[in-house]
Amino acid sequence: MKKIIETQVLIIGGGATGTGIARDLSLRGLNVILIEKQDLNAGASGGNHGLLHSGARYVCSDHEAAVECNNELNIIKRTAGHCVEETGGFFVAVCGDDEKYIADFPGMCRAAGIPFKSVDVTDARQMERSLSEKIIAVYEVNDASINPFKLSIENMNDAVSMGGQYFSYCMLQAVEMENKKVCYAKIQNRISNEIFYIKADTYVNASGAWAGRIAELAGIPINMVFSKGSLLVTSKRITKRVINRLRKAADGDILVPGGAVSILGTTSVRVDSPDNIFPTVDEVDRIITEGEKMIPLLKTCRYVRAYSGVRPLVSKGNNDDREVSRGFTLIDHEKDGVDNLVTITGGKLSTYRLMAEKTSDIICKKHGIISKCQTKHIVLPSTKSGEWSEPGLHITESVTRESRHDPILCECEIVPATAIDTIIRSIKNNKGKPDLTSIALRSRVGKGPCQGSFCSTRILSHMYNTGELTHAAGINDLRKFLNERWKGEQSLLWDQAIVQSSLKEMIHCGLFGLELETQ
Amino acid sequence: MKDKQTISCDLLIIGAGFAGMVAAARASSLGLKTVQVGNSSTLFLVSGLFDLLGVYPITSGQSLHSPATGLERLRIDNSRHPYSKTGYIKILESLNFLKFFLAAAGLDYQSNNNENYLVLTAAGTFKPSFMVPKTFIKGCGIKQGSKRLLLIDFNGLREFSAKQIANVIQDAGSDVSVLTIEIPAVSSTLNPIQLANLFEDIQFLKFLSKKISPFSKKTDLVGFPAVCGLNKSLETIGKLEEMTGLDCFEIPGMPPSLPGLRLKNAFEKQLSQNNVIFLNNSKIESHEFKNHQFILNAATQNMNTQITTKGVILASGRFPGCGLHAKRELITETVFNLPVFQPETRNKWYHLNFFNPEGHAINQAGLETDDAFRPVAQNNAPAFKTLYAVGSILAHNDWVRLKSGSGVSCVTAYSAVNDFYNSVSGRDTNV
Repeated sequence: MKKIIETQVLIIGGGATGTGIARDLSLRGLNVILIEKQDLNAGASGGNHGLLHSGARYVCSDHEAAVECNNELNIIKRTAGHCVEETGGFFVAVCGDDEKYIADFPGMCRAAGIPFKSVDVTDARQMERSLSEKIIAVYEVNDASINPFKLSIENMNDAVSMGGQYFSYCMLQAVEMENKKVCYAKIQNRISNEIFYIKADTYVNASGAWAGRIAELAGIPINMVFSKGSLLVTSKRITKRVINRLRKAADGDILVPGGAVSILGTTSVRVDSPDNIFPTVDEVDRIITEGEKMIPLLKTCRYVRAYSGVRPLVSKGNNDDREVSRGFTLIDHEKDGVDNLVTITGGKLSTYRLMAEKTSDIICKKHGIISKCQTKHIVLPSTKSGEWSEPGLHITESVTRESRHDPILCECEIVPATAIDTIIRSIKNNKGKPDLTSIALRSRVGKGPCQGSFCSTRILSHMYNTGELTHAAGINDLRKFLNERWKGEQSLLWDQAIVQSSLKEMIHCGLFGLELETQ
Repeated sequence: MKDKQTISCDLLIIGAGFAGMVAAARASSLGLKTVQVGNSSTLFLVSGLFDLLGVYPITSGQSLHSPATGLERLRIDNSRHPYSKTGYIKILESLNFLKFFLAAAGLDYQSNNNENYLVLTAAGTFKPSFMVPKTFIKGCGIKQGSKRLLLIDFNGLREFSAKQIANVIQDAGSDVSVLTIEIPAVSSTLNPIQLANLFEDIQFLKFLSKKISPFSKKTDLVGFPAVCGLNKSLETIGKLEEMTGLDCFEIPGMPPSLPGLRLKNAFEKQLSQNNVIFLNNSKIESHEFKNHQFILNAATQNMNTQITTKGVILASGRFPGCGLHAKRELITETVFNLPVFQPETRNKWYHLNFFNPEGHAINQAGLETDDAFRPVAQNNAPAFKTLYAVGSILAHNDWVRLKSGSGVSCVTAYSAVNDFYNSVSGRDTNV
């Protein structure tokens, strides 16, 4: 017999948009289930700068996007303030940058209603001491940084508190159609391999870069274009503010502070698929070469990690991907002959709430509900329940000293054994399988300078000691974890980092022989 | 103002890792006036196992039973590997020299009739190695054997779990029990060196054997993390065996490595007896070569030493030892700025798969030498007549993957010193 779960709305995709829709619809009284094939923010929502745009970035290329960003920035600051750091931002031009762009910028900002202030170059270098002495113009704007992991977790938590449900590691396999409607979604739990069905009145495809694949299951073509952007994480925070290059969008021209680190990006590389993407050496070099023009320290500072995200763009031509509007695409598939399916894709983190609002409006219309969006006004609650148990939270902030019988297992990021146990319990509660990789997703484990060389073995030992691991499973787990971290570090290995990676290979290959088949 | 001193010697050894130590051992044994600069604390990072050739070819993904067989193939496949400039007999001779040198300091090693041992590691995996500390020997047959095993771990020794090893090796059919020792007065973490110090205390050994005694009927062999004492580890293991009536052995694991520290202590003890002058923590800041002599400046925080020497052994290691330095665009050699064999561009340094079975191209990078291990300049002739490069800085030797680190370091250091000795003394070490 088929296992069938019923709900009013099924949302496919656990990024910022999907979780935003889950909350929006829940606030409007609809019952929702969200499924995610991996974990929250596994796609572009986790692979970006964490930048809340003031809109100034888009004033010259996309007036509408600029206005949207500015409006959303103010709403998000007001309603999700605990996920935002109001850093402020600079737009800086360096000697040799396009003078027409620099001259046009204030007028364009004014036209879009975006607040800005001209700053004297000398003053700017006092305010941000790492700025290059070759800076020739500076404008101050309201950019902010946002923790996208926290944002999605809180949105999902709020939806769950109103009766919504979240299924992680559950992948849509097929849809069954009847009378121009989707009637069932066939879903596979990727951990237990169990197949089950969700029957909903309406379905939302919020799968970002994977939107084309999901629509295809309903027989609808969407021509997606994938633009990979790579970002570098510095080992220390470099500036107080967001620093943007004052020029037409290009590689390596935004530096965003996020807590104790800074994130430098990005690139724009057309890729064939949104899966298995990673930063390359060439991208890293391009990013640093451009970044150091604004901030010379970026040439010599240590980078601890690199990662990539894919901008999901709906193809409209063959322009440079950054020229394609960063506005979002909302499709009611009624026009394609599927009455109860809606796709939302494209856009950017800064406008996630607006995307959720517009999508929810269509869904409500389909349900015959007249209900206004509430996310503009109702503050997103800050939940404590997920402190350690969800991705991206900085465990370091909560624990500062080692207590008796609670050894620190990750010394770079100060993660104690009890935190690991909490995380393991929470993974099990979400029907997930605790292993080094899933623990790392939910904590800072392995993200410090040692890149998991030491903490991996300590956590593995701990998991064997507590009976979480048996047989030789931990050895494969260790391999998988180290390889996953490696993808983020292999393009960044020089200077001190190469010393660390040499040591890692000495221990895990030289001594433990993990590369050998016979182990 | 820094203090200044001048020293003249026959041979300067740059580097105090494993290769530098062997070079200093050989040089001082031959009676050369030897000065050594470097930082010996890198020996905390070595496992203490002497590998010769544990895997060949690299892509085989298998442990090699007999290094001699692998070596034959290696010499055919790769004429540029350091082993191809020497022979199996020479490698054994150098390891034998080392074995006796260390034995004199009370650190005993043993090899296995020209075959590799399979050494149980803290991960639960088995590592092929050629010559191992005697305290490891009884654990080396576990993989084939049918002995009943008891594995000990210590509360607070975070990187070592007896349960983990037991679980991993149980799949291979071993009969394993585990015992966690709670040490009173230890809160949450235990440093391996603190623990090793405890093992030097007879009361602690009595405490341990009391804990172990309930297992004596169901156990043949007891495995400990490699922390059984600092300098008298073999004696300590012997006492434990006597008290428990069971065979005991050590299991190597994460750094800081006690077997590495024991090596450091043994080398330092013997080298100081052999009157090697060791300038600890010093760094060569400049060098020149005139009138058949090198003049180098070695600096520490408060001392500049001018060293005049007839020959130099460069045993400065790779990236961790700072013998090589990787910039974003180039790998350089840090003391003499010698040409470094390396991949054309950085995007060829590493594979995307950390465990790629071919190994990473950057691990083939390093110094190329003539047959006497003298690094060559751009013109392929030796850069200096009496400058030698030994150990992991040498190119074409992915020692981590081949499990050949100690063997290459030992034989290259030994051979280079011999060659230097022969060239300056007119005598022949082979006679």
